[in-house]
Amino acid sequence: MTIEVKNIVKKFGAFAALDNVDLKVGNGELLALLGPSGSGKTTLLRIIAGLDWPDSGELSFDGEDALGRGASERQVGFVFQHYALFRHMTVFENVAFGLRVQPRGVRKDEATIRARVKELLDLVQLDWLSSRYPSQLSGGQRQRIALARALAIEPRILLLDEPFGALDAKVRKELRQWLRSLHSEISVTTIFVTHDQEEALEVANRVVVMDKGRIEQIGTPGEVYDSPATAFVHGFIGESIVLPVDVRDGAVRLGGSALDIGANGAASGASKLFVRRHDMQIGPPGSGALQGAVRHVRSFGPIQRAEVALSAGEGNTVIEIDAPRDRELRAGEMVGLQPRRYRIFAAQK
Amino acid sequence: MTIITASDPAHLSHRERSDRVSDPGEGSSSAALPVGNRKTTVGIARSNSRTEPGPVRFVIIVLALTFLTVFVVLPLVVVFAQAFSKGFIAYFAALAEPEAWSAIKLTLLVAAISVGLNLVFGVLAAWAIAKFDFSGKTFLITLIDLPFSVSPVIAGLVFVLLFGAQGYFGPWLQAHNINVLFAVPGIVLVTIFVTFPFVARALIPLMQEQGTQEEEAAISLGASGLQTFFRVTLPNIKWGLLYGVLLCNARAMGEFGAVSVVSGHIRGETNTMPLLVEILYNEYQFVSSFAIASLLAMLALITLVVKTVLERRLDEGQAPSDH
Repeated sequence: MTIEVKNIVKKFGAFAALDNVDLKVGNGELLALLGPSGSGKTTLLRIIAGLDWPDSGELSFDGEDALGRGASERQVGFVFQHYALFRHMTVFENVAFGLRVQPRGVRKDEATIRARVKELLDLVQLDWLSSRYPSQLSGGQRQRIALARALAIEPRILLLDEPFGALDAKVRKELRQWLRSLHSEISVTTIFVTHDQEEALEVANRVVVMDKGRIEQIGTPGEVYDSPATAFVHGFIGESIVLPVDVRDGAVRLGGSALDIGANGAASGASKLFVRRHDMQIGPPGSGALQGAVRHVRSFGPIQRAEVALSAGEGNTVIEIDAPRDRELRAGEMVGLQPRRYRIFAAQK
Repeated sequence: MTIITASDPAHLSHRERSDRVSDPGEGSSSAALPVGNRKTTVGIARSNSRTEPGPVRFVIIVLALTFLTVFVVLPLVVVFAQAFSKGFIAYFAALAEPEAWSAIKLTLLVAAISVGLNLVFGVLAAWAIAKFDFSGKTFLITLIDLPFSVSPVIAGLVFVLLFGAQGYFGPWLQAHNINVLFAVPGIVLVTIFVTFPFVARALIPLMQEQGTQEEEAAISLGASGLQTFFRVTLPNIKWGLLYGVLLCNARAMGEFGAVSVVSGHIRGETNTMPLLVEILYNEYQFVSSFAIASLLAMLALITLVVKTVLERRLDEGQAPSDH
């Protein structure tokens, strides 16, 4: 099932939750909508599910208009952030719900429904919980039951709202891998919403980065990480060092002194220099574009994270950089810094 | 002498206290604590809270018990003592009087109609208020509370003004030979008015807390509006609904003031049980009067027991499935 979103606008009062959003989702894709809270990602998901309606715009599934159909007719599986399991039903009945409410002509007989529910509970590896109530389950178990329930209706599209948001870190990691393998098994077009970049980059085939109701960038995890299209994406995905710079005639200046790096075609004016933490090369004092004093070093795993107070700029600019452990840094040491890779974006007014 | 007094409206929201009864979901970290450790902390907290010396505690408890005995238990005992003062035969003879029997039937009829209608209105109002956002919502909530804040006598008078011979609809009703005042329809109307808030008030906080997510889930799974209501919404609110219906019924049967204004006190026709109790009492027929009063008192006792059971159910059923 392909999904096409065209010029969708949704306003809540004066606040534009979605501001002219266009998106195409291919058949069998696993897509992440990534953005901070209030970026409109959940609203977009709810509009696709039919739980909200846009003020204007178009939505089609496989080229057919979907806005004319209500949520119950769209055959969209929706997994809610807090699961929304039916609290008065057992796990079994929760999963069976979508099969039991089918119109009489289509509805399967009891034996078929039981077999199907059993199959789904096996798929999420929780068949031993079938007679429990939702309140007796752990968060991770509820999540998987919610997924099984959504899959029961053989959805053409699977939508997940912050699927791992309410779980603790360890369970979250397990479920991520599990979702990936589940998707490759059932290969239904899947969109999930998250504010966690790691989750989006790790699970999705394609990531849609959103901010303030607009799509900032669409691309593979590698693309959005390595070549961010906008300052927002660079700042939101991955850890970045951001320095306010001034670009004039191809020269980059930080706090009055010129930096020994090219402007890479950035337009003149107030700009921002973005460098990934691990893309800052550390050398002896005097080398590189920037000079600074190490103030503090923390070492863990393969890296050491150093706070460096820059000499250039307005006195107290402190940046955090990640360096490999091969050259131990000490607090108080003077170092030269050279950005290996960097991007310059015009500063937003 | 309304025997069953309606509970204070504030009382209805008692459930809000007991939110988050148990959440086994994310409790893994606290479960890791050694059990013995937790017990001791509880023990210390308890002994700390009991700082009053023994005699003070004793005096407080005795005062409370005395108060309850004098103001609650004693009147109840007196009702039954008076009812049975001339023996069992006189008691049942009093209840078998045609006048008494007709009052009992009328009371049951009025309660059945008004509770039935208020059940529907209450669910609709609570549904609208809890699940949708619309302008004028606060106004509607205030309006629902109005019958609680208006004196029942005033409520009765309002209906006299509306449907009485000199009222707005009076002439039209007379022309079409429809009796509202001093007849069963009038009694039903005022009873509905007086008991309207019970069901809605019991449901609004419950439905607001439950939110709309389960309904949305049901719809996305292909359920129709009716299927969603009967399979998801109704099971979730059933204990709250029963609770509201119970209180609504108790008030409907016990209502005196409003009914008294519109009933006309026609013997054997428009006298409900509370009205008959007063009439018989004024005529010095103490056994008959208290025999009927004892029925109402029994209703109160049953209501109390069922209410306690329902409250326990509600608290249990409250364990949230999310968070």
